[in-house]
Amino acid sequence: MKSNSRRWWPSVTKRRCDWGLAVRVLGATLSLLTVLATTGCATTHPKLNLGAKPWQHDLMAQTAMQLEAYPIEAGMDDHIYLSKEASSGGRGFAGGGCGCN
Amino acid sequence: MLFYQESDRVQAIEPILTMKYDLGDGQILSGGVVVDSISGATPFGAVPSSSPQTFLRPISTVTNGLSTGSSTTQTMTSASGNSTVITVPAPPGSPVATTVVSSTTVGANKFPLDQGFSDTPVAGNLGFTQPITDRLKLALGATYSDEHDFRAISGNVLLMQDFNSHNTTLSAGVNYESDRSSPIGGVPTPLTVMNAEIKGAARSRDEVNALFGVTQVMNRRWLTALNYSFGKSTGYETDPYKIISVVDSITGVPINQLYENRPGSRQTNSIYWENKVHLTADVVDIRVRYFWDDWNVRSITLEGKYRVQFDGWYLEPQARWYKQDGANFFHFFLTATDPTPEFASADTRLANFDATTVGLKLGLKLDRLSELNLRVGYYWQQGNNHPAGAVGQLQQQDLFPDLQAVSVIVGYSFAF
Repeated sequence: MKSNSRRWWPSVTKRRCDWGLAVRVLGATLSLLTVLATTGCATTHPKLNLGAKPWQHDLMAQTAMQLEAYPIEAGMDDHIYLSKEASSGGRGFAGGGCGCN
Repeated sequence: MLFYQESDRVQAIEPILTMKYDLGDGQILSGGVVVDSISGATPFGAVPSSSPQTFLRPISTVTNGLSTGSSTTQTMTSASGNSTVITVPAPPGSPVATTVVSSTTVGANKFPLDQGFSDTPVAGNLGFTQPITDRLKLALGATYSDEHDFRAISGNVLLMQDFNSHNTTLSAGVNYESDRSSPIGGVPTPLTVMNAEIKGAARSRDEVNALFGVTQVMNRRWLTALNYSFGKSTGYETDPYKIISVVDSITGVPINQLYENRPGSRQTNSIYWENKVHLTADVVDIRVRYFWDDWNVRSITLEGKYRVQFDGWYLEPQARWYKQDGANFFHFFLTATDPTPEFASADTRLANFDATTVGLKLGLKLDRLSELNLRVGYYWQQGNNHPAGAVGQLQQQDLFPDLQAVSVIVGYSFAF
């Protein structure tokens, strides 16, 4: 019997991600941050240029420099995006209890 | 407080209250409560048609008295204005089964939306951080979320170890979540034709997530964090309310609607990289996330915030760009001449699309211990409105209408 070569789904043209663009943006971000790092202040590991002396943690102590500076706002964003998109997590644990209409 | 409004669809008001209590010696107790009020319209998953379509949903069954063998139909106006009570015929002498059915009629060439949707989820969370040594901390957390058709419970453990004079932090954690889906009208049998009969019992789903992260103070002004997370879920992954149209392969006119079906498990991965850089006074925040799973969903997210610091207040423009390749079982519709696939969903959240968010935040330092802030955001999602495989009348329809939403967040925090 001749096999049916027709697909069972409609031949929907899938718009694939422009991963080239994504990689370029990622590369540009990395380069920018490397420049920022190498032009930074004195460090505890001069060869690696990483870290700050204990008395240089003043800026890191500011609210704006905390990774979880505004947890409620971050949580609301997670909730909105979880209900509209197929990806979740990254910053913290994925999921989070949502029937999500 | 969050105010959220989509164009012609869902609107939500979400007050959140959180508290954090420093118990001393590094011990921190935190807790929060969220009460959500969501209403509006949500897509069925069905395609538009050149003629009107009617969608029936079962709501509940009432048994009362004994049947005479005849059936009656009575129209009622519910809060959503579109419900009908149908008396299902039963053999004489047996109990009468009265099924309350929500009936939605969608006009010709209109995108099918379920108008009667409303929900009031309530959620709470608790957290506790305990230092083990000067460099090692343990954080425990638990959440509970309940709405009339969905319940979720989760618990997590996170260990954080500092190195290099507190310049490096390694963290590892695990989260377990248990969900229970008890939709109105019951859980339908996947890929059966949509009908007004009451469906099956509630279903559950379990999910385990693991998170590994490194946070590094690069120098006095730059903080970077890199996370990898892995998730595995099993159980009922399907959306019980979503359907997919089966259309005539020539005319594109819907013949019937099937309940969708998703695989019974999912494995997700993500790599997340965040950078905060303190300039002279301003702070730049750049985030990148790459996400992939075994449903073939791939996404990249780029997000940037720039906090312009003034004396006692700040302004923060925000932007986010998201690009998603959809799941391998996403289809806008199925055709009647082809065999029904094992898995199929027309939920556009599983489709290919781009989304852009722009926002502006204003923060006011009221005094040394309190802050008032306001953020306005605009979200715009764009998919493939006219996929190449559309047949017949579907070529004239918009199969993925753009989604636009506005959100306003008002926040007030104070320490005492």
